[in-house]
Amino acid sequence: MNVMPSETGQIVWRHKNVIDLAGWSREELYFILDQARHMENVMDRPIKKVPVLRGKMCVNLFFENSTRTRASFELAEKMLSADVVNWSSAGSSTAKGETMRDTAWTLEAMGADIVVLRHRSVGAAQYLASKLKRAIVLNAGDGTHAHPTQALLDLYTAWKHLGNLSGKKIAFVGDVLHSRVARSDIIGFNTIGCKVVVSGPPTMMPKNIEALGCEYENDPKKAVQEADMVYLLRIQKERQQDGLFPSVDEYHKWWGADKNLIAYAKPDALVMHPGPLNRGVEIASDISDGHQSVILEQVRSGVAIRMALLYLCGGGK
Amino acid sequence: MGKIVFRNFKIFDGEEFIKEDSLVVENDVIIEIGEKKKSTDIEIIEGNGRILSPGFIDLHAHFRDPGLEWNEDIYSGARAGAAGGFTTMVAMPNTKPAISEPSLVEYVLTHSKKANASRILPAGCVSKNREGKEMAELLKMTESGAVFFTDDGDPVSTSDLLRLALLYTGKNQPRIMEHPEEKSLFIGGQVHEGRVSALSGLKGIPEATEEIDVARGISLTRETSGRIHFTHLSSAGSVELIRQAKKEGLDVTCDTTFHHLTLNENAVINSGYDSRYKVNPPLRSSRDQKALWDGILDNTIDAVVTDHAPWHIDIKDEPFQDAPFGIASLECAIAVLLDYTNKNHTNVPLELILSKITSSPASLLPEKWQGLGVIKEGSLADLTIIDLDRTRIVDCDTWQSKARCCPWEGIALTGWPVMTFVEGRKIWADTEEY
Repeated sequence: MNVMPSETGQIVWRHKNVIDLAGWSREELYFILDQARHMENVMDRPIKKVPVLRGKMCVNLFFENSTRTRASFELAEKMLSADVVNWSSAGSSTAKGETMRDTAWTLEAMGADIVVLRHRSVGAAQYLASKLKRAIVLNAGDGTHAHPTQALLDLYTAWKHLGNLSGKKIAFVGDVLHSRVARSDIIGFNTIGCKVVVSGPPTMMPKNIEALGCEYENDPKKAVQEADMVYLLRIQKERQQDGLFPSVDEYHKWWGADKNLIAYAKPDALVMHPGPLNRGVEIASDISDGHQSVILEQVRSGVAIRMALLYLCGGGK
Repeated sequence: MGKIVFRNFKIFDGEEFIKEDSLVVENDVIIEIGEKKKSTDIEIIEGNGRILSPGFIDLHAHFRDPGLEWNEDIYSGARAGAAGGFTTMVAMPNTKPAISEPSLVEYVLTHSKKANASRILPAGCVSKNREGKEMAELLKMTESGAVFFTDDGDPVSTSDLLRLALLYTGKNQPRIMEHPEEKSLFIGGQVHEGRVSALSGLKGIPEATEEIDVARGISLTRETSGRIHFTHLSSAGSVELIRQAKKEGLDVTCDTTFHHLTLNENAVINSGYDSRYKVNPPLRSSRDQKALWDGILDNTIDAVVTDHAPWHIDIKDEPFQDAPFGIASLECAIAVLLDYTNKNHTNVPLELILSKITSSPASLLPEKWQGLGVIKEGSLADLTIIDLDRTRIVDCDTWQSKARCCPWEGIALTGWPVMTFVEGRKIWADTEEY
């Protein structure tokens, strides 16, 4: 831990649910990061358990495949002593045609206190929150829209290394159009005071990208120039089949992070990636495994951040 | 039925407010404007200064009948229209089966008559079974009572088919109504390509999706000397294309919707991607919205339509991406528009707005219906009373329509239709007012 930001102080926690980061203040973001620091200490104890959520029921409701995010939430819940139910779409009544609102009401009837939702539809978390009477909702990714816990764990990772993030430059390279990680991260890094530049094929950039609060630079070398952080976004190979770029090889040559590209950033710039990696596509192995990479730290941060949010929303009162 | 006298109204005749403040209806016809001598032994409707307008005409509504009647049927739709002040509505033919043969045109007309509420006139498909392959029996459907031809829900599939249909219908048959959409740009689309797609990641539907098809239709209209009507325009570029085509003298007309005039993409964003705002064409930018108003002002846009697209709430109440497109608005559309123009101080005269839902759309219907949309002696007594000061909260649970949700639910709006007459029969009244 380098710097404790002066912004961190006691604040009144006003968020019942965590749907996305739009409208969250810088003070709130730093407050969560500070809470995550305490949670990370728990992870280092020989007995990794605190009774913050004892007697609370968490349901991890995953309508879309996810291994790491679900495992991360589950570990966080268990370290806070919650009872955990994993409910995935395969083998559930969704396959039998049940609507999401019926699923939600069923879970609430069973006594769920916290629902962690991953769903392929934009707005699904907000929708679920509007249908639940009592239980709270943490968004673990709604379609291409938002992935707020990812953004917070990225902020936490960056903050641990760089301290106060105000004025720092972050460059995102890759598929912004389909990326909920990019949308939430751009909002998060923007709110906390970073300069945000994005780069990638124009076919994978949203029109009106300025609405996200960042600027677009076609040339990835210019985008990462003097950056404090370089964030590679995952390229799903089916996008190539959609015709958004001609070949994986061309993508890697132009937009992939290799030594040449990273050399344009600051010498000690952090290299970040949300995982899972496509080695040889958006990132070369010597970069993902190199000394500037904080990719595995991001994974660890994820558990701490999710513990902090579970504590603040679900059991902090 | 006898006589009804309407007294003390501000009478809008389809073009302007006239000096007379009363009119007399006998049976189904307006027989006298300005009561010549005070009649007795008659029914009197007292206006207290409210507006009396020709009944509203909606050139574009979906009633889901036959085939999807749990969402709406001709009966619920006809009553919903009545409650919304509409006396004539054109039913889109994208039902199951699609209205693409004379017997199905007659089905709609027969049930519309039985409904004993607002008049529903059928549009027929351009293509057989709405498959976009070959022309349906357009002349037979005309004879049965079809008032437009459209493959609405989809554009006419190929330029060749559209060219043939424009040639075949020419200037004497019902108009071709085109749902302007270039399919390859639409596939997978959910929202306007712009701010809302950038923020949500939902696949955008670019303005070009609409404009390319408008350009195609204009070009083919010029080619065939035919006539075409573009429905539910949403983009600034389309309005400009049609403005130029009209200047050129082509027989090109168009409409936009109540929701595109009163909402834009920000409503989708601010709602947190609430499916009630999911509609095709999508709610576009504030710039597009302004261009639509400019199109109303300079008469580039001929009519305002509901594109009433009812879905049962169990179908519509889903996360944004999983919900079907469509806004159900028959029962509040007029109030939505009057409230909007009032609150936003638009410089659009009330007469102009009312003409876009009365005389102007009526002029696009076949000869037989040319008497609609106006108040004059001898015309059918389709009348709607408007109370500009009436404030009501939109409550979908009280609707006649089976679609019990819309973007304005729970919102207080000022300016409502309060009584509706079709052919001299009172088919709906706001019970608190009358």
